[in-house]
Amino acid sequence: MFLALIQKQIKLLLRSPSELLILLVMPIGLIFILSYALGPLMEGDTEISKVEIALVQHGNQEEQVEAFIQMAKDFFPITDELKGQITGMLPVKLLEEQIMENEELKEFVHITKVSESKIDETRNEKEFSAIIEIPENFTFDFLSYQFLNGEKPSFSVYLNEGEQITASIVQTIIDDFQHQYTLNKVLSENGLLSQGMIVPTPEISSTIKTIQSQGEITSKIYYTFSMAVMFILFIAGTIASQSFLEKDTHIFDRILLARIHPITYLSSIIVSTVILAMLQTMILFTFAYFIFDITFNHFDLYLLLTFLLAMVIGGIAAVLSSLNYRYNSASASNVFSNALVAILALLGGSFFNISSLSPGMAKIGMWTPNGAALDGYLKLAQQVSLSDLLPNITNLAILLIALIVLAFLLFPKRGGLE
Amino acid sequence: MIEVVNLTKAYKKGTAVDHINFYIEPGEIVGLLGPNGAGKSTTIAMLSTLIPPTDGDVLLQQKSVLKDPSSLRKVLGVVPQEIALYGDLTAKENLNFFGNLYKMPKTQLKNRVEVVLQQIGLEQESKKLVKHYSGGMKRRLNIGVALLHEPQYLIMDEPTVGIDPQSRNHILETVKKLNEHSNTAIIYTSHYMEEVEYLCDRIYIMDQGRIIASGTKEEIKAILSSENTIVVKVENYSNDFMNDLLKQPFLSNINSSEGEVAFTVAKGMNFLPTLFSLCEHHRVLLKSFQVEEPTLEDVFLHLTGRALRN
Repeated sequence: MFLALIQKQIKLLLRSPSELLILLVMPIGLIFILSYALGPLMEGDTEISKVEIALVQHGNQEEQVEAFIQMAKDFFPITDELKGQITGMLPVKLLEEQIMENEELKEFVHITKVSESKIDETRNEKEFSAIIEIPENFTFDFLSYQFLNGEKPSFSVYLNEGEQITASIVQTIIDDFQHQYTLNKVLSENGLLSQGMIVPTPEISSTIKTIQSQGEITSKIYYTFSMAVMFILFIAGTIASQSFLEKDTHIFDRILLARIHPITYLSSIIVSTVILAMLQTMILFTFAYFIFDITFNHFDLYLLLTFLLAMVIGGIAAVLSSLNYRYNSASASNVFSNALVAILALLGGSFFNISSLSPGMAKIGMWTPNGAALDGYLKLAQQVSLSDLLPNITNLAILLIALIVLAFLLFPKRGGLE
Repeated sequence: MIEVVNLTKAYKKGTAVDHINFYIEPGEIVGLLGPNGAGKSTTIAMLSTLIPPTDGDVLLQQKSVLKDPSSLRKVLGVVPQEIALYGDLTAKENLNFFGNLYKMPKTQLKNRVEVVLQQIGLEQESKKLVKHYSGGMKRRLNIGVALLHEPQYLIMDEPTVGIDPQSRNHILETVKKLNEHSNTAIIYTSHYMEEVEYLCDRIYIMDQGRIIASGTKEEIKAILSSENTIVVKVENYSNDFMNDLLKQPFLSNINSSEGEVAFTVAKGMNFLPTLFSLCEHHRVLLKSFQVEEPTLEDVFLHLTGRALRN
């Protein structure tokens, strides 16, 4: 008898082309569209070609250092130690070292020394993201500024506006370089320079490391899961609408007359929703496996997470059905399908990773069934273990219990027949 | 036997069913006749234990079923006024589904589905989706579902609403045969007096939530035994003629349509001179003259002053 109720529900849904369109065709279409439309943005596929910097230096650095030492002798004694320090502070050399010796920068920043005579040609060709032009006597002026309170020297940087991203990287490097030398000046004035200087390591290096240590989340992975958890929500609305139709057409009367308890009926709604939600997810994942080559390692954990999500969807279907029966209208399921699904999808991160906006949003998202499941699926895609999934499992379990209790409390006696 | 005792249903808007009493014994067909809004469907819903009464009781074998509806539901089949079927399932699937709800054993269910399909004349169309059925076919299947578990009592709430005459005849014959062959007791509600008159052994006439008359056809018609219904066909019918007719104190329940005038007069009353004189005065040609047996419609008109199908 219980089986008959479930079989009927599954048959009805499978014979409804419009529902199937929403539940299966739309998510598959959206996975395709979003993966390809937003994929490059998500994956950084907007190819950041190697940042090419041209360095044009007018004059000879060593000669300028020697000239400065000769001049400085008139102001303070030049010991061998100080001479060594001055030689080690050659700004252009340090700029080169800052880039070339930094492991992360070295990968995508390349410096080409260009002779003074080719500067105009270099500017016109625009093959460089930036051109750094060091003027004549820059080193001499720089050392005078550092040690003798001379005029602050400057050099020119030409950024290629056509390559905004790479130009911005160069800008950051130059800012960092300037910051470092302003710091040098302060340290020098306070007599701290000789104690050795630790240049602060930009935080970006550690961030890069963190990202590289986890499995990669491609747009296809992200949108397969985000669309799956979004469209699974529609099943709840669909089943609740169908169940209200049973009341509206007096089929529910017949079910009661056949001595089926309303609680049995409500339970059948939950079970059939769970089965249909599992079926929908499996179809979408199978599609993703064959078409997008998405692998599902830890299949058992995927199954557990999907089952829990499907149970929560069953709970939502039961609550919506109870509300429909209580208020004798399909408004609850209609509002859910037409408005609430979109809100839940947004909060749960189905459109974009909303958790990146703020920790608060991330927390809210984790309390939506789709958000908790999406986060879980993404963790699984990054090869995590069961313990990492515990917050997701806990949230889904709490939601499930709350929804089931609510559904049985709300379902009216005799199904609201008066 | 099912007995309804002082059954009442009151809503905020008013009383839908007001202290009604009736009974049905095994094997008989009882008609519940009344216009739309008389309270028939509410009575059926209370009788079948779907909604609780505000007052009164429903007894099965002299035991109240209000606290234990299961005992009545077990022996009861209900044909609702609405088509309570799944349009996206075939007739066979619908029957199997409801049969399974009654926990019928597999082989028994299979046999019953075949028998019922034959009874309702849908054996050739059993694999078609119900949504593709005609109105009459849906009505027949609606009945079939209620017959599946072989109920001792069958409640049929306006089972012929909105269907073609052929399907209507089929349904009436099915009901008649069902009662004769399986001794199923049937409560048949309708606002078509000819259906109730054709099928039912006893009749309850309902209006505005109350039973206003009850008994066998003959007993109910005897309410009008002191009167005759006269139908005259006329030509050159005029409003003035009708107005003068209405003024006659010994004529009542006067109705007219397309050159036909019907009215009731007390038995023994010689009204013919007056009628002839009025015809002559208004130059109305009297074509035919007929004294008719009273119908249930006449009784209803007599009791309420309104026609059944108004």
